[in-house]
Amino acid sequence: MIERYLALWGEAETLRFLEACERPIRTSIRVNTLKTPIDLLVKRLQSKGVVLEGVPWLAEGYYADFGSISPGSLFEHMLGFYYIQGVPSMTVSRVLNPQPGEMVMDIAAAPGGKTTHMAQMMENSGMIVSIDEDRVRIRSLQGNILRCGVNNTLVLRGDARRLEHLPFHPNRILLDAPCSGEGLIPLDPSRKTSRSMADIRYCADRQQDMLSSAAKVLAEGGSLVYSTCSIAPEENEFVIDDFLKKQPEMKIDDIAIDFGSQGYVRPFGIQLDKSLARARRLLPHEHKTEGFFICRMTKEG
Amino acid sequence: MHGDERTLKPELADPHDWDLAKQQIDGGFGEGVTDKLVGGLLPVTLEHETSRSFYLVPKDWMDHFENDFGPFTPQSLGTWVGDLSSGRFTFAISVLDRLVGLTKNLIVVSREGAEALTYGKSILKHSVKETGQGLKRGQYVLVMNGNGECLGLAVMSVDTDKLHRLSPKELVAKNVMDVGWYIRRFG
Repeated sequence: MIERYLALWGEAETLRFLEACERPIRTSIRVNTLKTPIDLLVKRLQSKGVVLEGVPWLAEGYYADFGSISPGSLFEHMLGFYYIQGVPSMTVSRVLNPQPGEMVMDIAAAPGGKTTHMAQMMENSGMIVSIDEDRVRIRSLQGNILRCGVNNTLVLRGDARRLEHLPFHPNRILLDAPCSGEGLIPLDPSRKTSRSMADIRYCADRQQDMLSSAAKVLAEGGSLVYSTCSIAPEENEFVIDDFLKKQPEMKIDDIAIDFGSQGYVRPFGIQLDKSLARARRLLPHEHKTEGFFICRMTKEG
Repeated sequence: MHGDERTLKPELADPHDWDLAKQQIDGGFGEGVTDKLVGGLLPVTLEHETSRSFYLVPKDWMDHFENDFGPFTPQSLGTWVGDLSSGRFTFAISVLDRLVGLTKNLIVVSREGAEALTYGKSILKHSVKETGQGLKRGQYVLVMNGNGECLGLAVMSVDTDKLHRLSPKELVAKNVMDVGWYIRRFG
């Protein structure tokens, strides 16, 4: 893994990345506005000694220092007033920006952070079709939907590479694709050595299939957000570059929120679609978050 | 909300089954509560091997359910109301919030009582701050905290007009479900 990043970034940046991976990522929460006004929850948590600091680009997002309290043990958590969620994950839903009344699809939806976030953005209206294949993880998705008071979802279990069998043509699709998790090294250092190049290739193939499946069912003029918690260009820019060649009706959009840095257009010296600069990356050594890649696309008519 | 095999698509609730559920919801919380709970929504079901789950969904969702979902299996949808098995209805935790305001079957507990409840404990006399009037033994009650937030569902173990006879550590209401389930079940 290190060799790939030396080739991508050079020695100095790779070293900064590795050092950043040794530092803990700040806990963050998203206020669930389906259950409580933001200011009320902030006051309640502060009265319990939780130190909060707003995420600059997310009104509902807060870095939260719970001190000696377990973040999941408070009444406010059990009542669904907040969701413990990484800042990049919250950002993904905001980039998709689903609107009340729309039909939205969340692919690889478990454990439900993005589904429940989108439900609050949609004010519990319209419909979110939340799909996951994993029988165990889907129970966490359902649990979080219940806890957060979400009632605009249809939860389906199945293989997201077969979406054409469904009678839905969503306005927006969120695909937070299963990945190698190379962006999660600050949270799980074992990922430095537990993933091989073969794993990354396997993930990339699957990501391609899921993207193609999503593009087939997306309504014309609809938006698709692709994200991973990997920093590997092989699972991100290369996947999107291939996808754009196969699906010329899909175009990369600008992202209206100001965060992170640009996607790569020439990783490892290989020229990719220049519009990939519109994608965003969050990197542990640049942005003090877990690593993430986010790309927003539109299906042209 | 089960893990067993299901039908391939949601169906409108069978009137006979829904009547059974309605009788038990109204029986537990008061005549007419089910109709208010449903409002403008439609009751639909997902079948399991030995039970069926009821959900409330907007009417226009039914247009999407004309055909099945092919290789996809529906797990849940809309607002989960509860399950019916062998004629017996059990409430879903998700419907409790919606019942607040529709019923007077409430019991307000102290902070200590609320904490104990979220560990799955039942409600003892010393943690009761307030109860609805005229509640009878065996009746369902929503368990509330001092902020007016619903923490769970319990069954009265004693009539409210006999509460004064109990000692502080005696049982007032037996815990049926509580919000601590989210932590106990999902960590």
